[in-house]
Amino acid sequence: MARIVVIGAGFSGLAAALRLRQLNHEVTLVAKGVGGLQLSQGTVDILGYAPEWVQAPFKSFAAFIEANPDHPYATIGTQPVKRGLTWLSDLLPGLVVGDMEKNVCLPTPVGAMRPTALYQPSMASGVLTKGKSYAIVGFNQLKDFSPEFCAANLTRTPLPTGGSVTATAYRIDLEVAPGEADSSALRYARALDDRPEFRTRLADAVKTVIGPEDIVGLPACLGLDDPTIHIDLAQAIGRPVFEIPLLPPGVPGMRINEALMRALRKAGARLVLGSFITGFEASAGSIVSVTVQQAGHDRELPADIVVYAPGGFESGALTLDSAGKISERTFDLPLTGTNAADLVTGDYWHDQALFKVGVRTDSTMRALGPDGAPVYGNLYAVGSILSGATRWAEKSGEGIALGSAFAAVNAIGGGK
Amino acid sequence: MRKLRADVVVVGGGSTGVGVVRDAAMRGYKAILVDRADLAQGTSGRFHGLLHSGGRYVVSDPESATECAEENAIVTRIQPHAVETTGGLFVVTPHDDPAFGDQFLAGALKAKVPAREIDPALALAREPRLNPGILRAFEVEDGTVDGWQLVWSAAASAQAYGAEILSYHEVVAVERTGEAVTGVRCLNRKTGEDVTIECGFVLNCAGPWAGRIANAAGCQPVDVVPGRGIMVAMAHRLVNTVVNRCIYPADGDILVPIHTVCVIGTTDHPTTDPDHLEIPREEVQQMLDAGEELIPGFRDARAVHAWAGARPLIKDKHVAATDTRHMSRGMSVIDHRERDGLSGLLTIGGGKLTTYRLMAEHIVNAMEEQLGVSHPCRTADEICPGNVPGKTYLITDRLHEREEDRLSDQIICECELMSRSMFIDLLEKFPQASFDDLRRQLRVGMGPCQGGFCSSRIAGLTFEEGAVDIERATGLLRLFLENRWIGLWPILSGDQVRQAALDDWIIQGILDVDHLPHPAKEEI
Ligand SMILES: Cc1cc2nc3c(=O)[nH]c(=O)nc-3n(C[C@H](O)[C@H](O)[C@H](O)COP(=O)(O)OP(=O)(O)OC[C@H]3O[C@@H](n4cnc5c(N)ncnc54)[C@H](O)[C@@H]3O)c2cc1C
Ligand SMILES: Cc1cc2nc3c(=O)[nH]c(=O)nc-3n(C[C@H](O)[C@H](O)[C@H](O)COP(=O)(O)OP(=O)(O)OC[C@H]3O[C@@H](n4cnc5c(N)ncnc54)[C@H](O)[C@@H]3O)c2cc1C
Repeated sequence: MARIVVIGAGFSGLAAALRLRQLNHEVTLVAKGVGGLQLSQGTVDILGYAPEWVQAPFKSFAAFIEANPDHPYATIGTQPVKRGLTWLSDLLPGLVVGDMEKNVCLPTPVGAMRPTALYQPSMASGVLTKGKSYAIVGFNQLKDFSPEFCAANLTRTPLPTGGSVTATAYRIDLEVAPGEADSSALRYARALDDRPEFRTRLADAVKTVIGPEDIVGLPACLGLDDPTIHIDLAQAIGRPVFEIPLLPPGVPGMRINEALMRALRKAGARLVLGSFITGFEASAGSIVSVTVQQAGHDRELPADIVVYAPGGFESGALTLDSAGKISERTFDLPLTGTNAADLVTGDYWHDQALFKVGVRTDSTMRALGPDGAPVYGNLYAVGSILSGATRWAEKSGEGIALGSAFAAVNAIGGGK
Repeated sequence: MRKLRADVVVVGGGSTGVGVVRDAAMRGYKAILVDRADLAQGTSGRFHGLLHSGGRYVVSDPESATECAEENAIVTRIQPHAVETTGGLFVVTPHDDPAFGDQFLAGALKAKVPAREIDPALALAREPRLNPGILRAFEVEDGTVDGWQLVWSAAASAQAYGAEILSYHEVVAVERTGEAVTGVRCLNRKTGEDVTIECGFVLNCAGPWAGRIANAAGCQPVDVVPGRGIMVAMAHRLVNTVVNRCIYPADGDILVPIHTVCVIGTTDHPTTDPDHLEIPREEVQQMLDAGEELIPGFRDARAVHAWAGARPLIKDKHVAATDTRHMSRGMSVIDHRERDGLSGLLTIGGGKLTTYRLMAEHIVNAMEEQLGVSHPCRTADEICPGNVPGKTYLITDRLHEREEDRLSDQIICECELMSRSMFIDLLEKFPQASFDDLRRQLRVGMGPCQGGFCSSRIAGLTFEEGAVDIERATGLLRLFLENRWIGLWPILSGDQVRQAALDDWIIQGILDVDHLPHPAKEEI
């Protein structure tokens, strides 16, 4: 049994911490804030665009890796990703469904057809299917979702797999509190969790407005604690119901986050939340402890192994100073780029090389120095800190996170 | 083809053009203003935001200083809504010569620019982030001005006097018969329609593009030498007073608090093409260094956006050096009758946004002189529509409004506190508008998130309201994101790089906007 400190509470950090705890290690998870999961759409993407629409993520891996030799998948390989996905599906059957060998299209709030492999049961009826008709229903009080915009784009966009769908927009008035004109998806989710009569109100209102469409799409706000609300609604409305993930904070992402946090607590991991790592101690090429700032003073956490899952630029783990210097915040790890000067272009739709900058690792996920040797023998880097991917464009964020976490776990091995 | 008729056509809807059309309309002329883009999308929306007290010019250009001082008071009176009376400071930093302060004070006295020396400790108490090492400080009456509010309210005033304002009408030719102007030919860029306007007079207020209009009339080339300058807006108001370095005017010597940001600027490099103004990395670095000297820690503050404008300076070799009648310092009127033998065309260049009203007065006077008539200029006497006398802008205005309507309205842009009804009301007035057109009047997408959250919301609203079809609504969303990036990528660093990554997660990651069907042609 090793003392392992996992840094970061995003998808990769939570998965690594939980898996390592299941393997009987002593795990401390340190995070300064909430991870990216809370902001995400709550699906599990593997590879959606390469850059064309990807039908079968794993079947495309070989060609993709050959075309992108610096991509994290080139280092991780297929097996850890598959193992991670299987583990997650088994762990959260109520939140993760789908076939990892096959991408589906789910509608986004603007009516794009977004590829993903695994998704939540509440989204399953939204898997866009040739020839089907969809009633897209929005709430007047929820500004993050325009059913008209969504439906119109869905209808005019051919499915990547051929054929098309028809979508019709409807709106209902649904006040969370009397007179409240501006309610977030989260407020709706809580009301639906806590108040059965609110579910009835929603179902009745939807039933009254919609036409003869096959399937009903709603903004993703169908409960945070109870992931089965969509089933109740489908029953009451008499049609399959699905939800469409919205802008952050995303209710479906929060559900997975909560579930993983709960599992982690239950498994007996130690959580040090809201704390920055302010320093570390290394000796003979290994990290021996990290320093966390807690309740106003510094504390040393001894570590046999560190799994570093701090996120990328979006979380502040990778920083860019005003003079254009890129650095890694905690361990000052070597990066694949240090000067931003030529890494950003004025073409908005072009992938920015800046966002591919990150940490390079060996196949066991140990962060590498410029000489190709691990910087520290016991420092594993996972998730969005890894170089070589534009996750939001590729739709590869969760696959890389889980795959790298499982590659690291595999290298670390089980505790006694 | 559409045919219109007017006494005067004003070319260019920047501050100068709207000032001119207002003045002409108030003097009783049937006037039409045309701009190839939205109003104030040229230099007047790419400037520094300073309503000069004149202090900046008391040593280098005393006549301009006096004009600024006078016009500052007038603009504040007739368009208070566009102005924030922040006050200004001139500070001598440890890098500067304290003796310049004496020259400054003497110059201010002579130019009648109110200025007084205050204890540096007082300046620091007022602006605690200022460099604590400042050696001297002077108080002046600088303010800040929203160019878009100023231009739109002057345009509204002109309309109230019967003027017509045609945005997105590009002048493609100035028609003449022999030695007199007879009209202009325009292209409506939104509809593709040809529009001709018959008129006896054309007032060329096309700023850095003025040379092209003179060319279109077949005149000898007018030498416009656009001087490109960049500005960088930093999130939050690091200062609430305009802070000038007390030195001979130089690069990066002014920090202007306006709306939710403060703006450091500027630079000055000759350029050839005002349509393509770059924001070079070195100049951004230069601005941040300059900011650091005024405000220690400036580099660690968050830059949100940058832009570049071109000073419309005319260096005309065809104008006799003796012909200074209509030359006020820093601005020049070219009479093409004397210069090119073409009557009915005047070109104006130079000047400042602060003195836009005075420039207009000059060129309309010059027109009347050519016409042999004379009416009094009344632009300084009347307050523009939409303004409440004496009610200047306060940074807290929007917060106050949102507190009033918090239960009945939605906040679509949280950064800039823009409500749903503000957006819908303007959209109703301008159903053809691009999101950038609406942004300039509403500030939607101008805050730290730069449209990451609000852009898809306004796209939805625009489509829901029936203003445009889905193809255009989607195209406008794409265009908005592209255009916001123009001013973002040159300054990405610190928290703004974090934001840009989060915005990419939203726009591409969650919404997958890039895979919506692309428009057949770029939207305008
Ligand atoms: C970097 C910088 C900072 C500045 N800072 C300040 C400041 O802080 N305070 C201040 O008082 N002044 C400042 N100025 C000066 C001020 O911005 C300008 O003097 C003023 O905005 C000029 O206005 P304008 O109307 O003459 O030109 P513009 O605003 O450029 O207007 C010209 C218009 O003509 C239109 N046009 C061009 N071609 C055609 C065509 N073919 N058909 C129809 N229309 C056409 C353009 O679209 C444009 O809208 C600054 C200038 C610069 C460059
Ligand atoms: C006083 C002041 C305060 C500001 N504060 C903020 C702020 O708080 N936050 C913020 O985000 N921004 C701020 N800005 C910048 C603003 O958002 C714009 O980037 C800037 O005004 C450029 O003008 P734009 O909106 O017309 O052009 P852009 O948004 O840069 O571009 C719009 C369109 O204009 C076209 N274009 C490009 N160059 C030219 C040109 N030279 N002439 C005509 N058209 C051109 C582009 O191709 C594009 O189609 C401020 C600007 C000013 C003047």
